[in-house]
Amino acid sequence: MSFVTVKQLLKRFGEQTVFEQINFTIQQGEFITLLGPSGCGKSTLLRSLAGLYPLDSGEVWLDNKNITSLKPQQRDIGMVFQSYALFPNLTVQENIAFGLKMKKLPSSKIQRQVAEIIELVELGGKERAYPQQLSGGQKQRVALARALVVKPQLLLLDEPLSALDAPIRKNLRQQIKSIQKELNLTTLFVTHDQEEAMTLSDRIFLMNKGKIVQQGSAEHIYTQPGNEFVAGFMGNYNLLSAPQASQLLGLTIQGKLAIRPESIYVRERGREYAAHISNPTAAIIKSHQLLGNIIRYQVQAKGCDIAVDLLNRSSERLLQPGSALELLFNLNELQQVS
Amino acid sequence: MTKTDHYYHQSVVYGVCTLLFLPILATFLYSISSSWGATILPDGLSFKWYLQLWQDVRFIEAFGRSLLISSSALLLCAVLILPVMFVLFYYFPKLQKVFNFLILLPFAVPPVVSSVGLLQLYADSSLPIVGTPWILIGTYFTIAVPFMYRAIANSFSALNLHDLIDSAHLLGATTTQAFFMIVLPNLKKGLLAALFLSFSFLLGEFVFANMLVGTRYETLQIYLYNMRQTSGHFTSALVISYFAFIFLFTWLASRLSRGINS
Repeated sequence: MSFVTVKQLLKRFGEQTVFEQINFTIQQGEFITLLGPSGCGKSTLLRSLAGLYPLDSGEVWLDNKNITSLKPQQRDIGMVFQSYALFPNLTVQENIAFGLKMKKLPSSKIQRQVAEIIELVELGGKERAYPQQLSGGQKQRVALARALVVKPQLLLLDEPLSALDAPIRKNLRQQIKSIQKELNLTTLFVTHDQEEAMTLSDRIFLMNKGKIVQQGSAEHIYTQPGNEFVAGFMGNYNLLSAPQASQLLGLTIQGKLAIRPESIYVRERGREYAAHISNPTAAIIKSHQLLGNIIRYQVQAKGCDIAVDLLNRSSERLLQPGSALELLFNLNELQQVS
Repeated sequence: MTKTDHYYHQSVVYGVCTLLFLPILATFLYSISSSWGATILPDGLSFKWYLQLWQDVRFIEAFGRSLLISSSALLLCAVLILPVMFVLFYYFPKLQKVFNFLILLPFAVPPVVSSVGLLQLYADSSLPIVGTPWILIGTYFTIAVPFMYRAIANSFSALNLHDLIDSAHLLGATTTQAFFMIVLPNLKKGLLAALFLSFSFLLGEFVFANMLVGTRYETLQIYLYNMRQTSGHFTSALVISYFAFIFLFTWLASRLSRGINS
């Protein structure tokens, strides 16, 4: 049996169903991201797993124990909140020691464990500071330390990086990942940021409207979206209807097609292309957008508007609006979506 | 801002302050003059009125009664309202609207009206508390509640109560432990401010004390009222003493509440 098993979870607030038919398993030491747009029920799901909201039905198993009806205090689950939720009346040290104190550990042991964890999250020198004297990143590291010090079996992170500036976010993201690896901690991370999800996770559970729509590795979800929503959420897919796609590619295509902008080639003269590359399609550039390392061209080909991403190799190769080009499609990368 | 502007603003502020302080200053001067009749300046300065006041057992007793009544009403208030407000903000946040309305009621009814109402209510009640300090404690409780509620409500809204309690729960604390270890210490500032404010306010309360209890349990304000026929120097000394006490008390209060959390 898996370390965490979740069966048929259902949660309603009054008439409204927040999430339903939630089933998944997590192996020990796995880093899982619960990804989805805001309002899809992911945070409520996380809090329900922690026991903060009662479930309407379903079962939660952790380490071969059914914890569905246990109180939050008895679950052995740690959680980090987006709002940090640090106790404002306690110092960094006292905040971190809170959980150990509740376990009634001897104070010498508490001191040693707190000192260890402060070292781990690199907060040395801030022991006696109060939360309001810390920066956002430091606060979140205190919150992380406070959750980690009681050695939970499962760590839940509820959008812990959303309130932080971009450089601090990237830095703390790496730190969370390395700590998670070091402690081999089973972790469930909630975010609405697909980049965050892809860089951190072993697997991603993608949620929409209260259901898990697809789960798998980042690579799998990104390159093989199962439906239109996943394609729209994960990348900047070009979504084409069946007639559009058939016309564009000159092939008979059933159902909708998703094409990643970076999988499209612009034909270069005198270059041979492999067998899985389609015949060239004439197109005209409508506009371009500089995204830094890549340039996204909006082109029109056979009546379809298509985004094409090209590496920003040199400014001389920038194609001006109105110029003609030929597109080639990688047939292996075309993705049928429902 | 130019220098003249600065001086101009300063002089306005100091001018208004002087104007406001003038009556107190005059009262003080009057209280330390031996007699001040048909002359521009007092005949002489002396502390005899203060000595007379502070040696009056009746004054000391009235002062003690006022302190006792005010602090018991506030103690009752704090003990009752803190848990109620925690339950309100944590479990039934929607009821806050109802509370905001209810809390205005003690203000809406003028003290004269409500004291007459209370007298009628308790006159033929099996609970014979009219004329005893008990009814005063109860009434002071109701007029202190709005002050306490407002100040503590602000502290509550400043706290991210749900996340704090949730994280305390996940770290193994019960709700009661979370209340005493996390919520209460964070309300301390608001609570103290509310307590000191209400205390100064209750100490000066006259209408209820006069109507409901009167001379049977003489509080400070009733004593002051009863002494109105005696020498003006004497009552001036009384007013200044009272004022000094409130001053000292407020200063201590702001010192104390600043000392917390810093």
